[in-house]
Amino acid sequence: MDSLHAIGFYVSAAISVGGGLALAFLPGRGSRGVALAATGLGLAGLYLSLSAGFTALVALVCYAGCALLVAAPHYRVIDNAVGGLWRQVGAVAAAGLFALLAFAAWRGDFFHAIYYSGDFGSASVGRLLFAHDALATEAVGALVLAAMAGATMMWRGRGRGR
Amino acid sequence: MSTDLAFPVLFVASALVATGVFVVAWRRDLTAAIAGIPLIFGGAGVAFAGVSRFAATGGPPLFGQEVAALLAVVALALVALGVGIAGRGTPR
Repeated sequence: MDSLHAIGFYVSAAISVGGGLALAFLPGRGSRGVALAATGLGLAGLYLSLSAGFTALVALVCYAGCALLVAAPHYRVIDNAVGGLWRQVGAVAAAGLFALLAFAAWRGDFFHAIYYSGDFGSASVGRLLFAHDALATEAVGALVLAAMAGATMMWRGRGRGR
Repeated sequence: MSTDLAFPVLFVASALVATGVFVVAWRRDLTAAIAGIPLIFGGAGVAFAGVSRFAATGGPPLFGQEVAALLAVVALALVALGVGIAGRGTPR
């Protein structure tokens, strides 16, 4: 095993999962935004250690955007009507899901292949995105456009009503 | 990097998905719970990228990386939509 890749992988895994746990417990928007940014940084490191440099770059940009949105000071807080008991049930269900997925990862197996693509792979992923799976890319683009337009309309509409 | 990391990659992906579900279930305010969605999508993306890195798939070898990149973009769009639906208000 290439020890440099392995060290990078485990450090990135610790940063991403730690950032996620901090996201669950930290109060305040700014600290939650920092936690989400740390998660994105860890995810980018995970992708880099998996020789997916282009995906790491996309994830870094997208999670930085998510962190900025979560840390923004102007959005309204909507309190959840669900009581504490159901939140605890949800937490236990998340732990059960983790146990199930970890068991599936431990028991699962697949035919191993030798990886021969490069470390960044922007040209190959670009060919996949715009030639092989162009319809999926257009569908995601339409989804993003609809989500952004809807978010802008709702944001402006609520602001005008005040 | 050899295939020794195949199980740790899937294990970390499982941890990320479960952490995202935990954030969604645990946060009291819904706008903070939205922040768990990128974690879930990130975990799924790591699993896709890991399988395309280690496994002999029937499709293109970089398909998992492509799906992981698309999932990151979709996560950003969903967070933006959630914050937009919440609308403006006083910070807390």
